[in-house]
Amino acid sequence: MAGLAILKRIYLAVYNWVVFAGWLQVLYWAVQTLRTSGYEAVYAAVERPLQFAQTAAILEIFHGMFGLVRSPVSATLPQIGSRIYVTWAILWSFPETRTSPIVSSLVLSWSITELIRYSFFGMREAFGITPSFLQWLRYSTFYILYPTGISSEVGLILTALPYVKVSEKYCLRMPNRLNIAFDNYFATLFTLASYIPGSPYMYTYMIGQRAKALAKAKKSA
Amino acid sequence: MLVTVTSRSGKEVVKGGIQLSENATVKDLKASIHKRTAGKLYPERQRLSLPLVSGQTRPTVLDGDKRLCDVFPEGSDHIVILKDLGPQVKYSTLFFFEYVGPLFIYPMFYFLPLYKFVGLPEKRVIHPVQTYATIYWCFHYFKRIMETFFVHKFSHATSPLSFVFRNCCYYWSFAVFIAYFVNHPYYTPVGETQMYIGFGLGIICQLANFYCHIILKNLRDPKGQGGYQIPRGFLFNYITCANYTTEIYQWLGFNIATQTVAGYSFLVVAAYIMSDWALGKHRRLKKLYDGKEGRVKYPNRFVILPPFL
Repeated sequence: MAGLAILKRIYLAVYNWVVFAGWLQVLYWAVQTLRTSGYEAVYAAVERPLQFAQTAAILEIFHGMFGLVRSPVSATLPQIGSRIYVTWAILWSFPETRTSPIVSSLVLSWSITELIRYSFFGMREAFGITPSFLQWLRYSTFYILYPTGISSEVGLILTALPYVKVSEKYCLRMPNRLNIAFDNYFATLFTLASYIPGSPYMYTYMIGQRAKALAKAKKSA
Repeated sequence: MLVTVTSRSGKEVVKGGIQLSENATVKDLKASIHKRTAGKLYPERQRLSLPLVSGQTRPTVLDGDKRLCDVFPEGSDHIVILKDLGPQVKYSTLFFFEYVGPLFIYPMFYFLPLYKFVGLPEKRVIHPVQTYATIYWCFHYFKRIMETFFVHKFSHATSPLSFVFRNCCYYWSFAVFIAYFVNHPYYTPVGETQMYIGFGLGIICQLANFYCHIILKNLRDPKGQGGYQIPRGFLFNYITCANYTTEIYQWLGFNIATQTVAGYSFLVVAAYIMSDWALGKHRRLKKLYDGKEGRVKYPNRFVILPPFL
């Protein structure tokens, strides 16, 4: 089974570095656009690499499910869920949100966090090294970037809310033969409400992960 | 004999250990632990296991009726590891709360003008199927509660208190989900024939399900002795968990009659959960009745849903 282990490692190494490259593009174009054009143009500049890098992360749910990585599905699912939701159900679906300054804070928070995370895992899988500086970054920057990222997500969803209501986009109305209805406005409110228990859960999860990682580092030092 | 009681981290839970007679059982040990922990850890809250042997991932849990001298390996220290399972509730308590929610929630959507709160018109026309569905649903959960208190014979096993919240979320949320759509002002009923077929199937399966529960109850030894028996008679001759089968088909009947995505999604989730339980029970029975050393061999049967499983 040694062959399978090597295959897994190659796959994960490639995955992490490819997605890293995606986020690098996002950060580069975001910063460039902010310096030259202004915040309204940031989304247009980063759209394609953002959609690519963020959507690719869906694979990580399967990585956890099939035991390729140790992360529990209970932690990856809400994280990826909220990212995909904001990327596709808000930004892509409601163009009115794209010119908001919150897009910049969102994109910067996400890309910096992800660059640290993917390079950390990429180093480990490809080269077998876990640079302590990267590890420190990974388990420390979230203290700031989680709040800024989460606030940006909530802010963008709130920005989209009036357009969600008026446009009736993705709504399914009754009567119909399947006797089912879907109200996007209500669903969006529900999603916003889920951030109330969800955010402390993710934040304390990372704090727990930090404690575990630092204890391990101390032991092996 | 002297038994040392430690927590999973190795800390001694009962100072100085517990002195018991040579013929003492695990049950006696649990009773002593209960006394020595100021009455907080009643026996159902205790999980006692032996220290992990090298290579073991899951601990050997100690069964209540076994004698202590039989469970400790030759020449080992008499150490048991105690895990606090947290507050426990009886199965009948758990079931009651699970079922009482749907019993009251569903009729609320039928009788009360709730839809105006989401901007929909108050119900104008009530279709016959909606009335029958309310009666059917309430009868079903009433039956479940009655069976909980008068038919089912539970083992001494208990469930963690947290299961009450978890399971009630499941049952109560689906009750709201289904009741909302079946009683919706814009609900579209199916044809009359389909409705009768659906409810007919449902009623027959509920009766069959009740009979299955009677058979299972009679399997239990009146003294409450544990151990699995092979269910026999009626559908059990062909299916290990015929009680779950009839339950699933009963919901299918309800959904054929009412036709909602909400109802069918509940059917799928419930069938999945029951199949998971059924597979476990089927495996345990096959393992116990392996045909060796004079034991009966478990007959070839479907697990839960012929012809698939």
